Amino acid sequence: MELMKSENIVQDRQPQPQEEEEIMQQEEEEEQRFHVLAVDDSVIDRKLLEKLLKASSYQVTCVESGEKALEYLGLLHHSSPASSSSQHHHQGHKVNLIMTDFSMPGTSGYDLLKRIKGSSWKDVPVVVMSSENVPSRISMCLEGGAEEFMLKPLQLSDLHKIQAHLLKSLPHS
Amino acid sequence: MDLVQLQRQFVDYRTSLYHEGFLDEQFTQLQELQDENNPDFVVEVVSLFFEDSERLLNELARALEQQSIDYKRIDAHVHQLKGSSSSIGAQRVQKVCIAFRNYCEEQNVEGCLKCLQQVWHEYSLVKTKLESLFQLEQQILTAGGSIPM
Repeated sequence: MELMKSENIVQDRQPQPQEEEEIMQQEEEEEQRFHVLAVDDSVIDRKLLEKLLKASSYQVTCVESGEKALEYLGLLHHSSPASSSSQHHHQGHKVNLIMTDFSMPGTSGYDLLKRIKGSSWKDVPVVVMSSENVPSRISMCLEGGAEEFMLKPLQLSDLHKIQAHLLKSLPHS
Repeated sequence: MDLVQLQRQFVDYRTSLYHEGFLDEQFTQLQELQDENNPDFVVEVVSLFFEDSERLLNELARALEQQSIDYKRIDAHVHQLKGSSSSIGAQRVQKVCIAFRNYCEEQNVEGCLKCLQQVWHEYSLVKTKLESLFQLEQQILTAGGSIPM
């Protein structure tokens, strides 16, 4: 399977009257470009994570807080929205993986994790990152549904672990 | 100085920064991420680090001047500084932050003030050294050479 060159822009797709075959083909092509939502309150870590992900050919959207992430996913003001045709699509936003820092002011990475797992986005793998190696924190996140807990600072080699989770999450492979 | 000499000076200088503990392997990771599509990546990230650090250091100074010290707030700032210094490989800054957080936990104002001084000092040192490193890089590029990995 080929991963296409990443772009930084997530385009809002307007629903158009199309043949069903065309829609499926378009979705299949889109599915092949993994889109990662990266959440971190540190501007430095956002820049680093964005580069790491782009260097691994993923499409990236960075947000600076748990609230912004919830807003992006459409979870901020209302409860779980109805699922659309594909489990990873909502409001034109496709998200294959969410990577979030643990310690953030306001909505923490853990809060975000729980909200996601209690929503229509629950099947999207969530990776929690932290600069602190606290065993109780790690088990709490894993028990909360995180796919992986990663120690910062992240390196390119850490992204290989991510790839396995992304491939696992593909509906057709 | 000719190009080869400049390049050698650059490599020696960079090596010394690792040996003296100013930089660690995370800085190497930053360099590895830089490519033709993003030739200024390292300088950009490091510049963000400088801005962010100065903001945090000023906040820390202010917080430690207060009549009633908010140790939670100070700890939060030091945690941020520890994180960002770790992300760019500024090892000596990161180490002082660890000690700083311990003093916060003990609510030891003298220890905190001492650490603030130390962290400013380490920050200033690494800033100067990175600026020198980038200057050497620029000289190499201007002379038409490439930066040795």
